[in-house]
Parts: sequence; structure tokens; C-alpha cells
Amino acid sequence: MSKNYKEGFPYFVGMKKGLKTKGQVGIFVIVAVVIVAIILVIFLYPSLKSVVQGPLNPESYLKDCISPIVKTTINELGKHSGYSNLNEGYYVYDGEKIKYLCYVSGYYKTCVNQVPMLTSHFEKELDSALKPRAQECVNAMVDEYKSRGYGVVVGAVSSESSIMLNKIKISFNSPMSISKEGVQTYKGFDIYVDSQMSELLSIAENVVEYESTLGDSETTYYMSYYPNLRMEKIKLSDGTKVYKLSNIVTKEQFIFASRSLSWPPGLALDQAGKI
Amino acid sequence: MVNNNMIKFGFLLVLTFTIIMSVIGGVSAVDTQNVCCEKTTNGLFCQDSTADKCVSSDGFRQAPTACRSTSFCKLGTCYDSDKGTCASNTPQRSCLEGGGTWSATNPEQCSLGCCVLGDQAAFVTLVRCKQLSADLGLLTNYNKGITSETQCVLSVQNQDKGACVYESDFEKTCKFTTRVECSGTSSSTNATGVGKSSGIFYKDKLCSAEELGTNCKKTTQTTCLPGKDEVYFLDSCGNPANIYDAGLADKNEYWTNVKTKLESCNPSDGNAGSKSCGNCNYLLGGYCRASTGIANRATYGDNICANLNCAKTQNGKAYKHGESWCVYTDSGSFGKGNAPVGSSFYKHICINGEEVVEQCADYRQEECIEDKITSTGVTFSQAACRVNRWQDCVAQMDEKACTNADRRDCVWKPGKYAVSNTAGSAEMIGVCVPKIPPGIKFWGDIASATTGAATTQAQILGQVATATNDYADEAKAICGQATFKCTVTLSKGLFDGSNDAKCKDEGILGNGGSEEDCDCWDDEKKGVKQSWIDKNSAICMAMGDCGPKTNWLGSKGYTDGYKVSVASVEEAKSSGGGLFG
Repeated sequence: MSKNYKEGFPYFVGMKKGLKTKGQVGIFVIVAVVIVAIILVIFLYPSLKSVVQGPLNPESYLKDCISPIVKTTINELGKHSGYSNLNEGYYVYDGEKIKYLCYVSGYYKTCVNQVPMLTSHFEKELDSALKPRAQECVNAMVDEYKSRGYGVVVGAVSSESSIMLNKIKISFNSPMSISKEGVQTYKGFDIYVDSQMSELLSIAENVVEYESTLGDSETTYYMSYYPNLRMEKIKLSDGTKVYKLSNIVTKEQFIFASRSLSWPPGLALDQAGKI
Repeated sequence: MVNNNMIKFGFLLVLTFTIIMSVIGGVSAVDTQNVCCEKTTNGLFCQDSTADKCVSSDGFRQAPTACRSTSFCKLGTCYDSDKGTCASNTPQRSCLEGGGTWSATNPEQCSLGCCVLGDQAAFVTLVRCKQLSADLGLLTNYNKGITSETQCVLSVQNQDKGACVYESDFEKTCKFTTRVECSGTSSSTNATGVGKSSGIFYKDKLCSAEELGTNCKKTTQTTCLPGKDEVYFLDSCGNPANIYDAGLADKNEYWTNVKTKLESCNPSDGNAGSKSCGNCNYLLGGYCRASTGIANRATYGDNICANLNCAKTQNGKAYKHGESWCVYTDSGSFGKGNAPVGSSFYKHICINGEEVVEQCADYRQEECIEDKITSTGVTFSQAACRVNRWQDCVAQMDEKACTNADRRDCVWKPGKYAVSNTAGSAEMIGVCVPKIPPGIKFWGDIASATTGAATTQAQILGQVATATNDYADEAKAICGQATFKCTVTLSKGLFDGSNDAKCKDEGILGNGGSEEDCDCWDDEKKGVKQSWIDKNSAICMAMGDCGPKTNWLGSKGYTDGYKVSVASVEEAKSSGGGLFG
């Protein structure tokens, strides 16, 4: 057993030495290859980019750019009842301003509809929030094309957002021509982003209709009718109700407040007509 | 002379002061006068408020009357011509500011009809129908003749559906659709037109049927369809096929003809969580959803019947999707004139496998009611928050009126009671009290006593009460209704050998009565009987948050919650009485 050990020992030492020299050469070669590769990438970057990332499609580029922005904007607007800058007629709940879509002062009375064209209002707010971001996306796309060696000519950029059934449409009205080996001309692009906000807004409008007519709404019926809806009604001591509507699949939400047919502590007959 | 001048100066000073005060008072009175504001400074339309809270610029009006009596705050319908929607109970100004068209009565544009959207339907206005159809890329199919939503929904359920075979790019392809859509025409009364292409329709055939010779083949992919509970197979052209059934995934027959729900796997079950059957039943707690996690994946495809039922809830019971039930977890009992201070009712709902809690209105102005429906051995629980109709209980003088459940929520407490209040005294053979006593805001100072959020809100809306003691005064008035008086005559007999005066029955109001009328006085104790105090304190507690109540945590108040006083009315005759309040 010990013989074997002695015989084997010098062999292993010699092998280690050889490996060390070969390893150093190998490292030099790898470093040289990396340096050459970096130089090539610097000089051939636009062409390589096209090869690595594939051809650039303006519609996909704009969709990838605007989609996360649309989702963030919708979530932010939804949290504040469709208002980006809410400074009147709101309730502060959990530190967030929530708009009264239906309100009545005093007790024993049904509320008055405060925002009758809710979907249109939401659409306007969404549109004005997305306009500058849409412009940014177009600019970024032009820069990207230029960085890949394309020639790009862009006309005046405008955009329009609209809430559709199960989606949000963002129309980029930006005449554009892209040239390299040939010329491609575009009038504009229609980008669609999946969203269930139209359903949530429609439910909110319906709840307001109930609140203003009957004084209250029954959440269970809505949730049974809309399988993907989660509806919370939080009743507060001053008679305000905070409704939280959310889609359990898309996680979108719309929150609003209402004060209708509220009941005072005791009778509060002298408070019935006052605010 | 000096005195005269001083008197004149003094008179002048008083007069000036009076005039200044009356002017200030006058201005203040105008500011705090109750008016109808077309818009308040808080941005709310048509609210009854005080004059100082009305917006007076931009042509906004106000009138010293209630909003319901004004012309400018008359409520009507607001029509949104862009979306084709109508909103009722809308003031004119809020509609116009949003860009809508206002009318006092329901306009013609707001009349509803049935909008057919493929195999779905919506009961909407014509403009809305056009928009929905455009959103889905369909031709407008609107029927004004259908006047109810139920009829509308039923009208699309009997539509013929099947394979619509057509040629595209020199290839025979197929779309699974309705006969109407396949023929490319619309049966609309208002909008007609020919579609992009007309195909050959094969009723109840699937696009993957080999006999049709299309390029649509069977796959193992699945999908959820809008308005449908079930998981469906998809063919290679993206058309829905039959309900997902892992055992029949490669059976040609299952990919040839349309199978109904009843002909598919486990039709009597919700199939929640089943990996092999996609015949979900929403009413039984199964609904098509994307699979989550490897353990919950179906054998084929990315969708499964999700379990919407709640296996375990707060009360330890299992509930079905859509069921709701009442929960009362506060200390102490409720009903029959009982409810602890600060207690309230909660409605719990089982939705999408989640227990959602909904509180009924504060101050026990709402109670939770619950009932169960049993059908074919299955029980379904339903609950609701309902208004507590306690307000006129004490005004009921007889048991029949008191316990009339159609009108009010009260209980009748039999027995003799002498009630003493501002209206005078009365002897009653029973008292009608709220079944669930309401909560009362008895702490008075609203601004300091309310929670942070509520105070903030009150300030935002200018709702800090004009008289901070309004609530406390009202609490006193409500509890004060349970002020009871017992008048007894204490007399000493000539021959009973005792020096102590004893109670002589004269009726609870001292106007003659039976022996039991003397039950408020304890001759031994020479004071008011505890049993009389207990009996009357029960009435006191039934009025609201009054008397010796405990709170929702079971803690007693800092004081007794009532006062018993004994006063001699006519000392010469050694009379005494108890007053409870």
C-alpha cells in the first residue's frame, strides 16, 4: 500500500507543474479573445444589436414601452376614483383621497350623483396622464432605431387613449418613415393593453345608480354576477361608504366613496337638513 | 348734571354696542342660514348647507330653501353621447360640467334594448351597443323590441352554433361561431350589413371535425371563455372545442361534434380542483381560472376549475361561494332590548374562496339578518344588513302595535311602569322598547371625540356640528325617557306596636292601587327595592346606550349609569318615593 503511494507521488507533482504552465497560456488566450470581442462589439454595435435582438418592430416596441405605464397609471387612477389630482369632494381613507361619486349631506336622504360620466372622466384623466409618456415612448423608439443605424423621420406625435371592453386602446398618431435598406412608412399605431377597468367602471356607475335611487347597494349580488369581481363595502361612522372594487384576475382596482341614506347616532332630527 | 351725562353716555354706549352686535349677528345669521348650494366650497353639487359654504362665483346659485325645492338642483338624467350611458339622479350643473346632456325626464337615447354580441348579450342603449360591437369587432345587432334583461339574455342562448368553414389564403379554415355571424349578416333592426366573408355553417360541428377537412386540428391546449364557467379545449386555429376532459383528449369523436354540459364529464359536480374534468359549475363553486402552482395544474393545458368555496371560515364552518352569514362576536347578548355599548353586526361573505367581512352601519343603525334556503338537500345561507327600525318603539302604547314586525323592530315589556318625562307622568301596563337598542353618541364633543380619520373628514367637508352638544343633549333625551317614578305612602298604624312607618298601597302614581304597586319600597331596608331598580334599569338599557350597561368588550362603565333618589313629598304624613333615572 505504501509503495503505491511513493510511486504515485512524483507523478502527481509533475502533472501539477505542467497544468500550471498550460493554464497560464490558456488565460492569456481567453483575455486576448475577450479584448478583441469588446473591440468588435464597440465598432459593430448597431449591426450586432439587430442580429442579437432581432429586427425592431415599431408596434411591439411601443407596446412594450407603454403597457407597463398604462397599468401603473390605471392602478394609480383607480385608487383615487379616477382622479389624478383630487382636491375637492373627497374622503380621506387610509391616507388616500377618495372621491365621493354620490353624496348627500345630512341624514335620511338618498345621494346626488356627483360624477355622472365616470367612464368618460376616467378616460380623459388616463389620456392626459399618458400623453407625455406616449411622446417619451416614441422618442425612445426613434433613438433606438437611430442607434441601430436606421434613418428615422417623425412627424408631430399625438396620442389618444380610450377605454374599451376588456382593453385600453392607445392610438399613436405619429407619421413616421424608417429607412435603411428600404423605406417603411407608418401613419400611426394602435396599441391594445388588456384591462378590465371598463367593467369596474361600469359596476361603479351601477352602484352609484343604486345608491342614489335606493340609498344602498348589495355587494353579494354584484359578486355573484361578476365571477372575477371582489367588492368590499366599508361603512364608516359618519355615514360614508367606501367601495373597493377589484378584479381578482388582473388585480386592477377602483375605489370610490358614497354617502347616501345614512343614519345618525340617535335620531339627530335637528341635524337632518344640515351638513 | 354729571350723573345725567354719565347716564346719557352709558345709554349711547349700550345702544352702539347693541347696534354693532346686531349687525355682526345679522351677518353671522346670513352666513349660517340653511340654504341650497348648487356647489359647495368642498366641490359637491346640490347640497343643503349654510350660505358661507356655497360657491358664489362662476354662476353657481344658492337659494334659502332645501335643494329638492329648487329648480337649479332638480335631479334629472345625464346622457353621455360618447359612451351611450345614462346616469339618473344627477343635477344639471354636474352633468354639463362633465360634458353631458341633461334632461329632466328620461330621454329617448336612454331607452334600452338587447344588444347581441356573438353568443353574449347586453341590455344597453343603442349607442352603447354600437360601441361594444365595435370593441369586439362585431356587426351591431340591436333589438329594441326586447324590453327586459332576462329576455335579452335568453334570446342569445338558443342561437345555433357550429363550425363556419371558409377559405383564407387558399386554405380551408374554420371559425366556431353562430349561424348569424357565419353568414356575415346582422339581423339588427337598425344596422344591417354584410360581413367580411360568408362561410358554410355546420350546426353543432366542431372546427376540428375531420370530415370538414379544415386546417384546424385537435390540441391539448385549453382556455377560459368570457361568460362561461367551464374549461374548454382549443383547436390549432384557436377555436374553442368541447369542455376539457383529459380522458377524451385524443378521441376523434370528442373533437367532431358539440357536446352539451350535461353530456360532458361530471355534470352534477362543481369539479373544483379536478385535474381531469373542466366541467366547472359556478353555482357549485367551480370556475375556470388559470392554474396556479404545479400542484394545481390540470393534466392538460394551463386552466383548471378553481375552487371558489370557503373550506374554513372564522367560525370554523365551511361555506359555499356566494353564501353570506351574520356574525356577532361582541361580549354580551343582543335582541330583546339588549346590546352592549359599541357593539355592531357583521356580515361575512364567501367569495372566490375568500371570506369577506362587511360591517353593518355603526351605532347599531343596521342589524344583520340571515336565512337559509334548502333545495334538494343543499342549504344555502344568505345574510343582509337591514335598517334597525327602533325609532318609534317608545311611542307604541299596546303590544300589538309594538310587535308589528312589518313596521318596526321592538319588543314589549309587560308590567306596570310609571313614566315621568317632560310631557308629564303616565301609568303604563307595559313598555315598548327597541329590540336592538341603538347606539348613541353620548360623549358630546364631536371634534375631540371622533377618530382621526372622521375628524379630518369632518373638517374637510365643513361638517363639524354647529352645536357640539347636540348629540349629548339628544342622548340625555333618549335615555331620559326611561325615568321612572314610584310614589308610596308610608304610614304608621295605631295598634301595630311598631315605630316604623310602612308602605301603604296607593298605586304607583299614588292614586290608589293594588298591593303589588307597593313593590318599589323595601320596608325592612327603608329604601328602594333592588328588584324595582333591576326591572327599570332593564327598560333604561333598552332605550339605547343608557343605564348600567357593559361595553362590547364586557367592561362596565365608570359610573352606575343611573341614579336612584328618594324624596319626601309630604313629611308630615311621612311619605316617600323613588325616582329612577
